[in-house]
Amino acid sequence: MASRKKSRTPKSSPRRAAKKPAARATKAAPRKSASRKAAPVTSSASRALVFPTLHESTTSSGLRVVAAERGPLPMVSMRLVIRAGSATDLAGKHGIADFAGRLLRRGTRRLSAEAIDEAVEFVGASLGVGVGEDTLSVAITTPAEHFAQMLGIMGQLVKEPSFPESEVLDARERALAQFANDLDEPSVIADRALVQALWGNHPYGHDVSGSAKTVATFTRDDVVRFHHERMGPKVAMLVVVGAVDPKRVAAAAEEAFAGWTGGPDAPLVIPPLAKVAKAGKVIVVDKPDQTQSQVRMGGPGYRTGHEDYFPSTAMNVALGGGFTSRLMNEVRVNRGLTYGIGCWFDAMNAAGIFALSTFTKTESTREIIDVSLAEIAKMRDSGIKPGELRDAQAYMGGLYPLRTETNESIASSIADIRLNGLGDDWVMNFRDRLRAVTPKQVAAVAKKYCFAEPPAIVVLGKADAVKKQLRGLGPISVVQASEYE
Amino acid sequence: MRKASPKTTAPARAADPALQSLFDVHEATLPNGLQVRLLANHLAPVVSLYTFFNVGSRNERPGITGISHLFEHMMFNGAKKYGPKMFDKTLESNGGSSNAYTSHDMTVYYDDFASDALETVLDLESDRMRSLRISQEMLTSEREVVKEERSVRMDNDIGGMMGEELDSLVYKAHAYRWPVIGWLADIEAITREDCQAFFRTYYAPNNAMLYIAGDIDPKKTLALVRRYYGDIPRGPAPLPVINAEPEQRGERRATVRHPAQSPAVMIGYRGPPARDEDTLALDVAQYVLTKGEGSRLTRSMVYEQKVVVGVGLDWGWRIDPGTVLFFLELKPGADPQKAEASLYTELEKLARDGITDRELQKALNNLRSDHLRELGTNNGRAHAMGNYEALLGDWRHVLTLPSAYAAVTSEQVKAAVAKYLLPERRSVVTLLPAPSAES
Repeated sequence: MASRKKSRTPKSSPRRAAKKPAARATKAAPRKSASRKAAPVTSSASRALVFPTLHESTTSSGLRVVAAERGPLPMVSMRLVIRAGSATDLAGKHGIADFAGRLLRRGTRRLSAEAIDEAVEFVGASLGVGVGEDTLSVAITTPAEHFAQMLGIMGQLVKEPSFPESEVLDARERALAQFANDLDEPSVIADRALVQALWGNHPYGHDVSGSAKTVATFTRDDVVRFHHERMGPKVAMLVVVGAVDPKRVAAAAEEAFAGWTGGPDAPLVIPPLAKVAKAGKVIVVDKPDQTQSQVRMGGPGYRTGHEDYFPSTAMNVALGGGFTSRLMNEVRVNRGLTYGIGCWFDAMNAAGIFALSTFTKTESTREIIDVSLAEIAKMRDSGIKPGELRDAQAYMGGLYPLRTETNESIASSIADIRLNGLGDDWVMNFRDRLRAVTPKQVAAVAKKYCFAEPPAIVVLGKADAVKKQLRGLGPISVVQASEYE
Repeated sequence: MRKASPKTTAPARAADPALQSLFDVHEATLPNGLQVRLLANHLAPVVSLYTFFNVGSRNERPGITGISHLFEHMMFNGAKKYGPKMFDKTLESNGGSSNAYTSHDMTVYYDDFASDALETVLDLESDRMRSLRISQEMLTSEREVVKEERSVRMDNDIGGMMGEELDSLVYKAHAYRWPVIGWLADIEAITREDCQAFFRTYYAPNNAMLYIAGDIDPKKTLALVRRYYGDIPRGPAPLPVINAEPEQRGERRATVRHPAQSPAVMIGYRGPPARDEDTLALDVAQYVLTKGEGSRLTRSMVYEQKVVVGVGLDWGWRIDPGTVLFFLELKPGADPQKAEASLYTELEKLARDGITDRELQKALNNLRSDHLRELGTNNGRAHAMGNYEALLGDWRHVLTLPSAYAAVTSEQVKAAVAKYLLPERRSVVTLLPAPSAES
């Protein structure tokens, strides 16, 4: 299919690739789609939201459990979130969290990989392991009647994975093949280059999956060490949402996670970002077969739970979030330069960034950069009009309740709230807090985040043709795409 | 053209008990032919509205391929009451967002929005169905956007390149042979007059279906729909689509050379139309072969033989016979023939020995779970109703699909595989890494 935005259905192209081009997403175990959570969006409809009551308990092994009963579908979604993301990768072993995460289901003390697959998949449940910068999550969605059995399997995966040697070797082979094949995905390589350009040596500065260079060194011992040192009940939380009585959740969790030990007593401390590594510099990633350039730009943002969140989010909708954003209007609608452009704040537990992503035909590379930078500068210098802010607030406020529609989205909100200390009233009061944002507050965050310092710029494309277009944007360095394998 | 004509194919199966109570659907047909389906759900103050038009690349002809998709873009560029840029602006500033997609068979628009914006959304949607304004200036600019889209999806994407090649192997006569996004020269040649003629025929209310699910009062909503859409005139009946596809007489092959890291293989078999009984049996086969880590092909080709790093199977329902499509992802230097041979061995085994009872039950459990999950949101419910109505003629398949699957037997699965996935019915595109132009 074909379409105006980025499609949900692979075969159609949607009318527009609006949503922020998947930056650094929580990675699903099969390293393919990196779907970021949708930007929190909110409502002019003032009716109160329905959010389930949270029931808390702690297992004897010290795992915190949050349960919420919710119908009407006979399904349950459970999510075990461990503060063992890629920022906690062992020294010299970038990608080990993601690698270990993928191996969890390849065998435990009691079950072979085949037995795990069969147990989960036979009943129509689905199991996924996702690793992001901050967390490693094991998620299972299951028909409600099989919930306790599925929780039991989840417990085994984290308590007693066996990491068979042959599975480690095979996984390494597959990962290396994937790194090679990623070189054929222009947007993936451009995203990777941006991450490095922004974060440099910071713990958030490498791809969640690491690189071919680091993964090639992985051994079973590395995986065992990561599991033992980083994954444990004290830095984890279990969230269960769906058609199940919270009392049963507490009892089943006790049984599933009894005796789980290991991991640190408290989450590892990740430092803030001192400075954007390549601020003011231009990185050209050479891929001579391209007829388009992938363009990325970025600068500093803020961490989760920061007071700038609401004004920044409102600003971002007006600048490059929605379909009527300034960037979309100038770059796509008025000039036809691209199919998709967007900007976003990526807030993680310790720090965050503000970035822009788009693409255009090789000849228009400089034009699209100049038009984008001009729009961002305009926002920085003049802020937002009251009407524009009202529109952004109505847009996000109206759509925010969509985030309370599914068990999965509620479980993920609960995990976010708890891990990042957002407060249990976060969902219920989101729309009020958004509505309270003033143009003055937006102007203040615009001054701060809209590239007050020159951004790091990444262009992936035909270096020969784009290099001369980029003069004057900052010192240019050309790197081969293979550097990002 | 096989248009959705509700009731004629009302499914005979029983409704799934978990779904029956969720789907208290109010139905109506307006005098101008517009089909309306309304479904209340008051869990959250939001609504999803879907408009399905029975037109896709299937209804195109050489010279104007891609017009359905280009036109989909044009639908956001201004009508009589809400001019250029006003559709998105009005919708977003009232707490809504929208998107659309075009497939081979249909063009689908949706809006998600705060429930108090319902009337505004009906005003916006009926305005563009009644009186879209197609200016030369907008067409020129939107054409550039579509060219960038084509470039990113097809010319700079390996899957896109291979898929384009495969479609023209699998189909010789049917319109499914060209990409939904169209050929570049055709996209460049489409005129304003082409768009106007296209609009009059395919965007008339008698060629459309409207689905509204969420925080609504169905009675009041139907009154509003009548008020906003009632005066839109009918259009001429669309031309029928002829399926002139000849029988395939042997394997078809093509090679794509591109500076890629690894070889890859895409294999397509022409399957049955969506309405055919075999469609469900092929769904079961798809789940047995590739759904989950423990599926046959993943276990055997990825984990045991290690001949591929990934294997995918897509069996997409279409009005006319669609494609059962396999994609084999290899590692650098791997042998595509070996991967192909391994796949064919598995398919032969399936055609010869069928599937076990346990595999059948597992597939059914997963088909039901996935179906329920799809219906977790208003958007999912409205889309599912529209999709089944457009493809099968009745939205009620949403309720009965789980029991229709439950009636599929191992014998049927085996027979369907033996019928469709034959060597002489396949088309194969192999991607071979070629040195980059400059290296």
